[in-house]
Amino acid sequence: MIQASEIETELLAFLRRDIFSPDTNLTPETDLVGAGFDSMSLVKTLLHVEQKFGKWIPEGEITGDALANTRALAATVARILNES
Amino acid sequence: MNLTELLENSARQWPDKTAFLEDTTEISYAQLVEKISAFAEKLKTLQLGTGARVGLAYPNGVNYVALTYALWKNNFVVVPVPTECPPEEISEIATEMELSAILFPKALAQTEPLTPEIFVSRFLLATPADNHGLNIAFIRFTSGTTNARKGVVLAHETIRDRVLAANKAFQISEHDTVIWCLPMAHHFLITIVLYLNVGATVVLARHVTAKPFLEATNKWRGTVLYAAPFHFSLLARDNSPAQIESVRLAVSTTCALPQEVAAQFHKRFGKSLLPALGIIELGLVALNSEDPQGRWNSVGKPIPDFQVKIVSPDEHGVGEVDVRGPGICDAYAAPWQSRENLLRDGWFVTGDLGRFDDDGFLFLLSRKTAVINLAGRKVFPEEIEAVLDKHPSIKESRVFGRVHPHLGEVVEAEIVLNAPGASIENLSHYCREHLASYKIPTRFHTVQTLPRTAVTGKLIRATATT
Repeated sequence: MIQASEIETELLAFLRRDIFSPDTNLTPETDLVGAGFDSMSLVKTLLHVEQKFGKWIPEGEITGDALANTRALAATVARILNES
Repeated sequence: MNLTELLENSARQWPDKTAFLEDTTEISYAQLVEKISAFAEKLKTLQLGTGARVGLAYPNGVNYVALTYALWKNNFVVVPVPTECPPEEISEIATEMELSAILFPKALAQTEPLTPEIFVSRFLLATPADNHGLNIAFIRFTSGTTNARKGVVLAHETIRDRVLAANKAFQISEHDTVIWCLPMAHHFLITIVLYLNVGATVVLARHVTAKPFLEATNKWRGTVLYAAPFHFSLLARDNSPAQIESVRLAVSTTCALPQEVAAQFHKRFGKSLLPALGIIELGLVALNSEDPQGRWNSVGKPIPDFQVKIVSPDEHGVGEVDVRGPGICDAYAAPWQSRENLLRDGWFVTGDLGRFDDDGFLFLLSRKTAVINLAGRKVFPEEIEAVLDKHPSIKESRVFGRVHPHLGEVVEAEIVLNAPGASIENLSHYCREHLASYKIPTRFHTVQTLPRTAVTGKLIRATATT
């Protein structure tokens, strides 16, 4: 069982490093789409999760709510990983 | 001629028709032409001279379109620069493409404001770029065998010809509404220019997820979807009851359309994704509109005006694919190579291997050009290899696309180390400094040697592997 908090830490580090510019102050509550998260960001994030946790998150699970912020995204990822 | 004339014709014919819808903003054809004229006046003050090459590092939006046409109106050459490029890559592009300036949407180091929405970085060239007497509109990157990055040169007339040819297949008209989600820096000519030429409406869907994309399609009664397998995969996996009855044409821009995505999309919406063959040097060559279900792995038949021949076919009919038709590129920019030198007896040699079936459907079996398509962004292996090969621990590298069931392809690399155990700990960080993020390989495989041809020692290009 993977904790959502563990995934949140991992995702925050990834998003800060690979997706957003260094001047973005990304917190777990930052609105991702509002901060510039686009479809290519989603591709890279899904690939990162697949590589790190060994499972592709089905795109249908990625709703607007899941992208509200990093905390919500981590919760979605944790739910799907723990289902399998 | 100048491509702005085509748009101005559309504006005369359909002045009040909506050209673009972006969030809550609508802009008519007449308003778009006005915006272009205003931008063109501002750009004139740069006094760059006819034929100056200008980089455009803008995100998708009406301003991207208006600036492209405004640059054309001043007879400047547009060179799209993907916004994801780090400063070092932008500076390389500026040197290689002999840019006189680059336009940005916000203030950066060494930029000056032209308007509140245009910031310009200028370069002093010892001698102006030589356009060899051509009426150039556009230079688009591709990769070459000798250079990591070379530019495909397209004159205004060439773009007009390929747009007219492509629309014989798409049949897009003023009655169409296109739902758009691809990066304009990678897709513009046989798409946006074509749509504006025929008076269609383009909805700029900024959305990342399926739901808003489907809502936009239904709200604006979208008739055309033109996207990468990733976007269609997102839509196909949506589990809401929403349908897309208004859509009449859904084109997948890459021939690496996974069967799973095509089948799921058809099952979900009852509509077929049409695989297309687009080549940067040629435009749209083939479209499978006749049998996308039965022959899902065929790019279809050549579109009207295009001819495709298989050279030196083996006993299975497989040989090199050569193409001729309207709108073949005018030259390569770096180093300059004229159209005559690009052609073999009037045919463009794609380097791809393919065959026709008995009904005239073209099947591509391997792509020599090796361009990788990651969710609509074009990635050239040579460009990434050039960066990897400069890493102190790497002797040589080979970059390839790996087929991904949802994305089409992802970027991976094989590397040969200088010495056993050489450190590549900082490789990801190194790549981030030198490459746009979407170009960074997802995986690195350390190998002992790279496959090379026995006679010439040339690197054997991997085709997309599964």
